[in-house]
Amino acid sequence: MKFKDYYETLGVARTASVDEIKKAYRKLAHQYHPDVSKDPAGEAKFKEIGEAYATLKDTEKRAAYDELGRHPSGQDFKPPPNWAGSQGGQGYSFDDVDFADLFASFSKGRQHSQQQHHNRPIPGQDYELTTQVTLEDAYQGMTVDLNFSVAEHDSQGQVRHVPHTFKARIPKGVTNGQKLLLRGKGGKGSHGGPNGNLFLNVSFIPHKLFRVIDYDLFIDLPLTAWEAALGATVKVPTLAGDVNLKVPAGSSSGQKLRISKRGMPKFNRGLNHEHGDLYALVQIVVPTSLSDKDRELLQALSVSSTFNPRAHFG
Amino acid sequence: MQIDQTEFIWLDEHHEVSMEELVDLTGLSLEVLQHLLEIGALVANNQAEVDMATSELRFSSHSIVSIRTLSRLKADFELEQNSLGLMLVFLERIRKLELQLRGLEKP
Repeated sequence: MKFKDYYETLGVARTASVDEIKKAYRKLAHQYHPDVSKDPAGEAKFKEIGEAYATLKDTEKRAAYDELGRHPSGQDFKPPPNWAGSQGGQGYSFDDVDFADLFASFSKGRQHSQQQHHNRPIPGQDYELTTQVTLEDAYQGMTVDLNFSVAEHDSQGQVRHVPHTFKARIPKGVTNGQKLLLRGKGGKGSHGGPNGNLFLNVSFIPHKLFRVIDYDLFIDLPLTAWEAALGATVKVPTLAGDVNLKVPAGSSSGQKLRISKRGMPKFNRGLNHEHGDLYALVQIVVPTSLSDKDRELLQALSVSSTFNPRAHFG
Repeated sequence: MQIDQTEFIWLDEHHEVSMEELVDLTGLSLEVLQHLLEIGALVANNQAEVDMATSELRFSSHSIVSIRTLSRLKADFELEQNSLGLMLVFLERIRKLELQLRGLEKP
């Protein structure tokens, strides 16, 4: 395991009082707490800060930490034999144990032994994950692979991180940012305690054609100037296959053409057969290079047409 | 690999959970949740129809998200019970404003 300098993490001296430690923690928590901070690195930073605070605010844990001595952060490290935090007694193996878990078990060990005494059920820990899905998968429903590690107590009461891997079905009709709760899929409970839960955030991977707002989809529809002016029937992709869209004559850039019920399914509202709509946003596109014939025709049009799109300028 | 068939709960405004489920899923105690209910920071969907003391109260399942955030903030900032109601009201207001903002986003 790698050593962590908790005093350095909180920016306090090794002689700092409990009040100074608390003050330093609160200041950093306001800066990095994931529910408060917009800093994308905030969550990881707050985890380190919380871990340092949890150890240094507790007199007994702090004494055990101090007993480990001073080492540079990140240095390979193993607690000495007979260290106060050893739950398994002399000769206990610290292989595969995280530095943070040394102190988590230190107090849980005490709690654990009391709970073992009373044989009280301990509920498993809750976890929160984000899974990224494609729009196509969200449209049809899908199975996703979920891999994360859960904290479990070993037979000696030491916390171990155990890989937890399973496939979960994501129902059809999830929206971007949807949160789902999978009961009992968090950490394992002990002594007959219930398993923890898994909170799953669903996030859509940006699609190359469609943008999505709630249940409605939006697609840019490039049209030639003559298709827009004369009207046309054009093929438009949807998540359920192509459809032919009738573009009315006189369509302009920015206009929205609605294709009913070709958006995302509203399954989660119990409306099994309802969908949002697909909106095609007209974009008039002109060729960047013209053939002689095209140029001739467009010049003829410019001479004969009386249309002035800037008439309202006065 | 195991394929999970476990029951899932949609956490949104269309689905409901009981008070027992809120206690089970948010990490806040029944006492704290009842305090939030009493001061009006937490509102049950059927509050007008049932006795507040009964276990028949139903809450929108999205409440779980805000109350879990509240529970984290309470633990991490060592907040006192009296400040929790105010904080829950603000969390809900932020959630609604963020929803409105998403609706105003230009496609």
